Amino acid sequence: MEYILEAENLTKVFKTQNKSYFTAVDSVSFKLEKGESLGIVGESGSGKSTIARMLLRLTDVSDGKIYLYGEDITNFSGKNLRKVYGAIQMIFQSAEGSFNPRKTLGYSICESLRNLGMAGGEAKKRAEYLLEECGLNGEFLKKYPHEVSGGQCQRAAIARALAAQPKILVCDEATSALDVTVQKQIMELLTDLKNKNNLSYIFICHNLALVQSFCDRVLVMSEGKIVEEGTPDEVIFSPKSSYTKILADAAIESSL
Amino acid sequence: MNPQNVTVRKPKIQKNYTKHKLLFFIILTALLMLAVVFANQLCPYNPNAQIFEPLETPSAAHICGTDRYGRDMLSRVLIGLQTSVLSTLLLVAIITLFGTAAGVLCGYFGGKTDALIMRVSDVCLAFPGLVFALAIAALLNGGLRNAIIALAVVSWPKYARIARSQTLSLKNSDYVFAARLSGDTSVEIITRHILPNIFGPILVTAMLDIGTMMMELAGLSFLGLGAQPPTAELGNMMSSGRSMLQTYPWVIISPGIAIFLAVAVFNLLGDTVRDYLDPRNSGK
Repeated sequence: MEYILEAENLTKVFKTQNKSYFTAVDSVSFKLEKGESLGIVGESGSGKSTIARMLLRLTDVSDGKIYLYGEDITNFSGKNLRKVYGAIQMIFQSAEGSFNPRKTLGYSICESLRNLGMAGGEAKKRAEYLLEECGLNGEFLKKYPHEVSGGQCQRAAIARALAAQPKILVCDEATSALDVTVQKQIMELLTDLKNKNNLSYIFICHNLALVQSFCDRVLVMSEGKIVEEGTPDEVIFSPKSSYTKILADAAIESSL
Repeated sequence: MNPQNVTVRKPKIQKNYTKHKLLFFIILTALLMLAVVFANQLCPYNPNAQIFEPLETPSAAHICGTDRYGRDMLSRVLIGLQTSVLSTLLLVAIITLFGTAAGVLCGYFGGKTDALIMRVSDVCLAFPGLVFALAIAALLNGGLRNAIIALAVVSWPKYARIARSQTLSLKNSDYVFAARLSGDTSVEIITRHILPNIFGPILVTAMLDIGTMMMELAGLSFLGLGAQPPTAELGNMMSSGRSMLQTYPWVIISPGIAIFLAVAVFNLLGDTVRDYLDPRNSGK
């Protein structure tokens, strides 16, 4: 078994205004296998998004280690971190919010390619290809984020994430701002890309049904800790912890 | 219900005239700027030549009369306007650039530099603006250049605060995160993603400040700490006409009107630009 990403006792402590401390993520450890889709579920405020941001080093890690292909990337910065972003990329919940409102989608997608050393014309061609791979035509390069629908914007965001040819995609609630039909299309796209590009996913989500259909393994989080781990079916149909029970019951109730 | 009995309330202001207003004030500002740029050509006489009768009443030859040294007032007002407007624009440019740069760097990098610069700006803000500027100008021995320096020292914190708070909120926005994931360096993030998005509020503040800064600069000159005679500057011209307000009022009234018009034009333009850039006005 080959683990491509490992988190070891990952901890994030926030300092609050009145000098007390708040532990958002409390020594969380997990491993991601090559080609696997690992779901992370849990209520709002359980630390899911903070984990995503720590994995991509968008916020500092308070304690613990992150290993990418066995290499400790916890304290990487500058050029080294750029190399990390060639292997691991992220898709945000708000697609429109993840694009600079004053730049075209094409600019944002090409930015990544140019930073990899691609010339302007070549980058544009590549960006067009990436958009097509994500189900959009080349005309979207000239559009601004507010001019396209949420689903189209999320497709463009996926195209941008793929520009760096990553091996791991972290999806932070990537579909929860979309309506159900668009959600389904995006999930199909993600599945497609997974097979085509040999991607592994960390899929952060609060929708258990989605996790069940998409993920191989799922972590259940509550108050910054992992309370349960297993295959989606195990977690949903024979939950061990009381929190998972509540979560699963709520999911089954709401799907009726 | 009988449709004839229904009162339809018509909105009092039916259309949004912001665009027309903006165009109108831009034209006014352009005219003012033309007068400023071509002041030397527009002057009927040499503004510093003391060749006429002192304190002549306004006439066809001297529309604004002459001052106590026999200089043509209209020429002096035009040149004074040029001095005032150009030094004000220079001052606003300096505080905008410096304040924004300091604010963005503080907001983006945080840490000790941030704490230091922000405490310095607190100190600057703690003093009443013009009094502090007076103290600095007096310390630097007056002169137009020193008046600009004094006002710049007093006024930059406002821009630094705006830029800092905007940067702080943008720094943790998804698109700045996404830019980091795209491999952008800090410099690229600041220039490509942060500056273009905080430009609006800073531009509006700068436009609204032109009028205020013009008043303050003229105020310093009026108190003798700005431009020194014989330089024609609206503030010190008013100051020298102060004692003759009742006997030879044109000596103080003509530069007064010039300041009033220039400040009014810049303030109205600033207000309109703010309205125009206000997101609640867009989409109409």
